[in-house]
This record gives sequence, C-alpha cells and structure tokens, in this order.
Amino acid sequence: MMSFSFLPNAVLVLCVGALVQMLGVAIGRNVARDAVIGLLVLVASLVAVSMPTVLYMAGSVALFAPDVWASYSAVLIILSAIAIHIMSWRNAVVSDATVGSEYYLLLTLATLGGVSMTGAVHDVSFFLGLETLSLPLLGLIAFRNGRIDAGEAAMKYIVLSGVASAMLLFGFALTYLETGSLRFIAPNTGDMPEPLLATMGTVLVLSGMFFKLSAVPFHLWLADVLEGTSIPVAALVAVLSKIALFAAMVRYFASVNLYMSGPATNEVIAVAILSMVGGNLLALVQTDLRRMLAGSSIAHIGYLLVAFLSPGPLSFASSAFYLAAYSVSTLGIFALMAGIMPQGTDIRDWHGMFRRRPMAAAAMSIMLLSLAGIPPAVGFFAKFYIAAAGMAGGRLGLLLILVMSSVIGLYYYLRVIRIMLMPAPVERPEREVTSPWFGNGALIAVLACVTLLFGVFPGTLVDLGRNLIVMPSPPPGSSGQP
Amino acid sequence: MSIPLAIYGLVAVCAAAMVITRTIAVHALVYMVATLLALACVFDTLGAPFAAALEVIVYAGAIMVLFVFVVMMVNLGRPDQEREKSWLTVGTWIVPALLALILLCTLLFGASHVTADPMPMAAGGPIGPQAVGLRLYGPYLLTVELSSFLLLAGLVSAFHIGRRIGERQE
Repeated sequence: MMSFSFLPNAVLVLCVGALVQMLGVAIGRNVARDAVIGLLVLVASLVAVSMPTVLYMAGSVALFAPDVWASYSAVLIILSAIAIHIMSWRNAVVSDATVGSEYYLLLTLATLGGVSMTGAVHDVSFFLGLETLSLPLLGLIAFRNGRIDAGEAAMKYIVLSGVASAMLLFGFALTYLETGSLRFIAPNTGDMPEPLLATMGTVLVLSGMFFKLSAVPFHLWLADVLEGTSIPVAALVAVLSKIALFAAMVRYFASVNLYMSGPATNEVIAVAILSMVGGNLLALVQTDLRRMLAGSSIAHIGYLLVAFLSPGPLSFASSAFYLAAYSVSTLGIFALMAGIMPQGTDIRDWHGMFRRRPMAAAAMSIMLLSLAGIPPAVGFFAKFYIAAAGMAGGRLGLLLILVMSSVIGLYYYLRVIRIMLMPAPVERPEREVTSPWFGNGALIAVLACVTLLFGVFPGTLVDLGRNLIVMPSPPPGSSGQP
Repeated sequence: MSIPLAIYGLVAVCAAAMVITRTIAVHALVYMVATLLALACVFDTLGAPFAAALEVIVYAGAIMVLFVFVVMMVNLGRPDQEREKSWLTVGTWIVPALLALILLCTLLFGASHVTADPMPMAAGGPIGPQAVGLRLYGPYLLTVELSSFLLLAGLVSAFHIGRRIGERQE
C-alpha cells in the first residue's frame, strides 16, 4: 500500500517566513521592518490553514493528521501569536535596535513548533514540534537585557524543560519497545504481551506533558518564569504553549477509553484535582499579578483536564471552547498589563484604576470576570460547558472539586477588581500609567468585545466545536512504515 | 541480556554518576567522554555500528573537545597555569582511563568471541550508514527538514543569550 505524508500549509508558510526573516536580519537590522514581516508571516499562515494542502510526499511516513482539530488549534495558536506580536510592539525590550529582530524570528519559530505539534501523529514530528516550541521560548524568556531574574527564569525553564523532554523520550522508547511503532498514540494496554511496559511508557509520556503544561505537581517553574520574563513572553508561555500541548495531549489519548480505570486515567484524575485546588491556592496568596495569573493558568489546566476526562460528544467541543475562552481572557489581561503599566505588575499598583483609566479598568474587569466564570463573560459559558460534559461523562466528584476551587478563584479575581475600584492610598505613590499604542488598544478592545460577545452568543463557537473530530494516528497497516 | 552489554551499561551509569558529582568542569568532562564511549559500545552491541561511530566521532570527539576549549577559554587571562596543572593529575584521569580500558577489553573480548548465538540485534541485522541515510532521506525527509528549523531555533536562542552576557561584561 502506497503511503504518503503531507506538511500542513501553516507549517510550510511559517518555515518559509522564518527563512525570510533570517534573510531580513542578514541584509540589515531594522526592527520595524522585521516586525511587519513577522506579522505578515503570521497572517499568511492563518490564511494558509484554510487552503488546500500543497505539499504532499509519496512513500513517506504519515507525520501530520489532516483533521479539523489540528486546524482549529492551529488557528487558535496563530491568533494568539498575532495578539502577542501586537502587544510586543513598542515594548522597551523588543524595540532595542540591536536585538529586536531576533525577537520576531523566535516568535515565528515558536509558533511553527506549536502548529506542528497540534497535527502530529508521529512521535518524531511531535517531539520536533515540542522542541521547536521550547528552544525559542528559552531565548525569548532570557530576552530582557541585564535582568538577573530573566536569566534565572531561563535557567529554570531550560532545566525543567529538559527533564520533561527526557521523560517523554523515555516514555516513547518504552512504548516503541512494546508496540514496535512510533505512532503518537497511547498504546492499548489490554492486548500487550507486557502491559506493564506499555503502561509505564504512557505514564512517562503523560508526566512529560504535564511538566510542559505545568500541572500540579509539575508546576514549580511556571510562576517564576512568568515573573522573570517580559509580559508578552509571559503571555506566550501561559497561552500559546499550553494550547499546543493540550491539543497534542488530546490527540495522544484519542483512541484510549478514559472511562476505564487504569494507571494513565488515574494519573490524569489526580493531576486534574491537584491542579484545580493547587493552582487556585497558589494564586490566592500572590501579590504580583503575573504570579497570580500563573496560578490561575494552572487551575484552568485542571478545568480543561475535567473536560478531557469526560469522554463523550461534549468532551472535545467543551475543551475546544474552553481553550478559546481561556486564551482570549488571559491574552487580554497580558495585553492590558503590557499597554497600561509595563512595570507595575504588583496588584497594589492598580489602585484606583477605575478613576484613572476607566476604559482599561472596565476591560480588565471583563477579562477577570471571564476567568472567574461569571456571566455575561465567555468564561461562564465555557465553565458551564465543561460542567455539562462532566455530567454527561459521570465525573461528579471532579465537578464538585471544580465548583469548590472556582469559589476560591472567585476571591482573587474579584480582589483585583475591588482594588481597581478603591482609591489609591496616600502613602504609596501612584505608578505612572502609559497609554497603549493604537494597535494594542485595538487588540484590547477586540479581546474584550470577543469575551462579551461569545459570552452572550456562544452559538457560533459551539457549532464550530461540535464538528471537531480528533483523528488518532493511523494504524500501522495504512502507513506502510513503522 | 549478554554480559558485554551489562558491562557497558554499568560503566555508562558509573561514569555518568561521576559526571554530575564532580565540582571541577574538566574532571566532569573526562568522565563524560567515558560515558559517551560506553554508550557507543552499547549502540554497537545492539546492532547499530553507524550510531556508535557517530557517538564517538561527533560527541566524544568534536563536542567534548569544544567543551574543553570553552572551559579553557573562559578562564583566559587569569594566572591559573598551576591550577590547570592540578586539574589533570594522575588521580583525576586514572579512573576514567580505567573505565575506558574496561570498555576496550570487553569490546575485544566480544569481537574475538563472535558466536553462533547472535546479540539481540534489530530484525534486519546491523544497521549501517546506508540504511540510516535511505531512511532519513526517504520516508523521514520531512522530519529532517523540520529538524533544521529546530536547529535554527536553538542556534538563534543560544546566540542571543551568549551575546547578551558578552555585552554585559564590557
């Protein structure tokens, strides 16, 4: 049987775009031009997702799945990358003429890694995508010049990322030993000669992914990394890499019955519970907005895992919806921080924001309400959708914990709004507020409108999510190669 | 499990443990070379002589030499000739050398006792350079192309971080 493989259009466009950006740097450094090229590349890859595939290769191993789930997550990733691109512009770190061009090149490469992960059906293509996402992130995290905590954050990130990659590879090796195939799929432990090896492989792969997703108990690096790096890069770590990993994880388990109690299912359940409770408790005590968002991001991974654990028609649809809702709201907060007060990440700096910048404070409140899950913001419907999926899947215990930890979450999200409503204390000098540049302002407005619109009319996104089918990687017979 | 394979594995683990417990970079590097040699022997025993050769040439050869160069260059300009001499006394290189000697003896022993009972090799016998090349530039061509972008990403990141530190020291 003739096998063939293809390269998704978005990956192709991003590869070519990265080369064009390299060429640009080689000709001469000009941050503004490189930023425009980077934006064009991202927009072009967004357009390319919907086009028919152009690059086929006969006689090749199947590397990518041509399904709607891959396209959906790719669109989400590219849109997030565009948002991050817009909020990076005029950032003091990025505008530095000697290094700014690399920033946009690394952003393109990170997007390339994320997009290739979402469609990967082969261990090799998944791993290449993952590393293509992780290595540019390393450079981006260390991008703040002369900041010692940026170096510290990069160090923490690279060491823990290396550990996670090693675990993943070990898991892949054990799975290969057992099944003799490199398909990116959790092995069915039932019909194996050595079920223990296959189970160990799955658990190791899962642990590696949780490390990268920073779910509790693998979450230690996230808060420090978000605090140490610049705000757009923090958004990249908190949003883009999580979408990519979650999308890949869903595909990895597409063929496994998660109703069945087994070591892998138990690990996911334990991690989901720990993430929901631990993430919210971590966020509760923070005084830095970025650390609070790190805790919130961990908790949201826990909520997503509840949808992931509730097999049924609602599972993919609700996780897709939740991913979109989480990305929009979190990106909105980061865009606001980057635009209004790039230096003021302490929550107390936001005192009296409703008086000083009413529009920005209103937008911030919408994003926070969405993350807390309060109507009319989109986060309410997203959480409701996950609860529906959980009910359909019979995960009552998990839902109970979801509701309880959401109540904890309510406290710290609303605390920020309360602080913005209060007048600034006299003894503490007010930190200077800047106005965002036009693009960032437009980005914030669009994100706030999207948060409200999808919260009130979620129908479009629900219909989109209902058609999502995750294809497990094809069986060995149809690929022709191991 | 064959006895040579067990010896190689044991040597690799011992040397790796020494790598991460040394406090002086050069000492760790010498043990690292022993680890990589042991790994190369493991690859060879498993039926991948090409991978073993690459391990020796690229890792133990080129990359380790580069590491040693960097360690020497970083300390440039300091009066540490005596310190460097003290780095490589007999006590520091004799253990890695012994480990490498064990590997050599086992390898020679294994080579002279090629028996009818073959090693747990891959199904098609030893995997040579031709087989690897045909695979890489046949079915896995797209992954080769994608990994070039991975290398580009690593290169740009490393360049960026390295240059930052360099400029700060001015």
